[in-house]
Amino acid sequence: MKIRRLTGCAVSYFLLFVMLFIALAPIYWMLVTSLKGESEIYKLVPTLWPKELTWEGYTNLVGNTGFMSWLKNSAIVALAVSAVSLFFSVLAAYGLARLRFRGRQAIGTLILVAYLLPPTLLFIPLYILITRLHLQSSMQGLIFAYPTITIPYATWVLTSYFTSISVDFEEAALIDGCSRLGALRRIVIPLSAPAIVSTFIFCFTLCWSEFLFALVILTGANSTVPVGLAGLILGDVARWNQIMAGAIITSIPVVILYTLASRYIVSGLTLGGVKG
Amino acid sequence: MMRASRAGRPLQSVFSRILTGRLSMRRQTAMLGLALVLPVVLYLLVTQAYPFISALLTSLTDKRIGAPGEFIGLGNYVDLVQDETFLHAVRNSILFTASSILLKLVFGVVMALVLNQELRFRSLWRALLFLPWTIPTIVTVLTFQWMYSATGGVINSVLLRTDLLHRPIDWLGVPLNAMAAVVIVNVWRGTPFFGISLLGALQGISREQYEAAETDGANVLQRFLYVTIPGIRDVALLVTLVSTIWTLNDFQIIWVLTRGGPADATQVFATLTYTSAFLNLDLARGIAISMASVPLLVLLIIGTARSVLRQEA
Repeated sequence: MKIRRLTGCAVSYFLLFVMLFIALAPIYWMLVTSLKGESEIYKLVPTLWPKELTWEGYTNLVGNTGFMSWLKNSAIVALAVSAVSLFFSVLAAYGLARLRFRGRQAIGTLILVAYLLPPTLLFIPLYILITRLHLQSSMQGLIFAYPTITIPYATWVLTSYFTSISVDFEEAALIDGCSRLGALRRIVIPLSAPAIVSTFIFCFTLCWSEFLFALVILTGANSTVPVGLAGLILGDVARWNQIMAGAIITSIPVVILYTLASRYIVSGLTLGGVKG
Repeated sequence: MMRASRAGRPLQSVFSRILTGRLSMRRQTAMLGLALVLPVVLYLLVTQAYPFISALLTSLTDKRIGAPGEFIGLGNYVDLVQDETFLHAVRNSILFTASSILLKLVFGVVMALVLNQELRFRSLWRALLFLPWTIPTIVTVLTFQWMYSATGGVINSVLLRTDLLHRPIDWLGVPLNAMAAVVIVNVWRGTPFFGISLLGALQGISREQYEAAETDGANVLQRFLYVTIPGIRDVALLVTLVSTIWTLNDFQIIWVLTRGGPADATQVFATLTYTSAFLNLDLARGIAISMASVPLLVLLIIGTARSVLRQEA
């Protein structure tokens, strides 16, 4: 019995280390490459640890490419979209979770379907619409398009969260003469602050990483980080230390935010459908 | 004028009754509910429902970028069915999705089972194994592109140095290798989503169930088959369905790594849609290609929605 437990344990640790190796090796390689000099990058046999650690990749990326302006664009779009999405999603989710009205269930289902609809299906007609509104090649165009990804997600997750919290406090407030919107502002929002913050974070990371809409809507030098970074590869020539430096910088805020919100996000990932 | 005022009157009286508090509480709640949901619903109608309908209609024309289209009925679809490239894309989409999903499910189960053991520093391992899902997709794709690279690529170099390989593999230049390469990236990125979700389901299975099975003489395999699998089945189904929708429509990984090549070997719905619409400037054809995946997508979405709503209830 004890021996079996021990072998089981050994097998678990063995598998764990294999998985850790697979998960972390590419990330290690990204980091190491970003700290190498250009001459070392072009060696036919790569060195597993840099012969000489240098910030060359980072300084060249910041100095010689549009990276800083991509970073600014990405941040502005992601913040604006997340804020707007959260505002409207909180209102809609409260309506769907607490107020009875005709068509409520149908709207709930529609929002779920909208969340599941992949962006690749509708990006061309959406592009045509954005062109008609004269928002193409502009950040406004992205800010118009991205809530198609964030709003259904946020509304869905927040609806199931609001449904799960007790109505007692709210009812007490209503009896004391508080209005519905007053109860939302003073009771429901403070009670669900962690869920709202983590939904905001997840919306932010969705926008931060988005590629297809940015590729289609924006043109030329005016770009966000994902499309800008991908554009640094021109044919066979690629300054991989710069690109990997960009990859590291792009990942850091997302990893930090995820870690902060991970407890709540994990349940949100599975559409709020998985309890426990 | 007459009509407007007649229609205006009941509306006015509704407002005055709201103001004077004479409208029944229930009506008031219902109106507020609608008002709260309205902005989101309107936005989704404008950006999802309208484009969808206009896409269907555009796919029946020969619209190109910068020019109005003529109605040509099912012409685009008839062309597609006879188009070798499109048929390639259908086959590739299915191959890419099926193999990615199968691998993610298997590795995800393994990851969940291992993380469910009583390991030291378990939450640290969990966070580290979750990293591939956390970092932006573009970062993952670029890193793998660099690792696959023929000059200075670390994968070939390590395999050659450890004598596992005698000649370097041309990862992105040979059709079958390129397909394997994009599947690997998708699986690397997507496995944690399966693993963490399934871990949640595993933790929901009570210890007593395992103990009961053990006292009944069930061995490890039997306990896995009769306790573990039923315990994670619903979550596994949901995660598989959701991930199938995403994988079937993956654009970024394939576009950045191979552009659908070599020789259309990794051409899928999304990349062919983009190529037709924005490189060949044939909007209607691009839309027709994306619309061709709708029947399958509808089935998947209905399945997912049902599975979600059942687990919500």
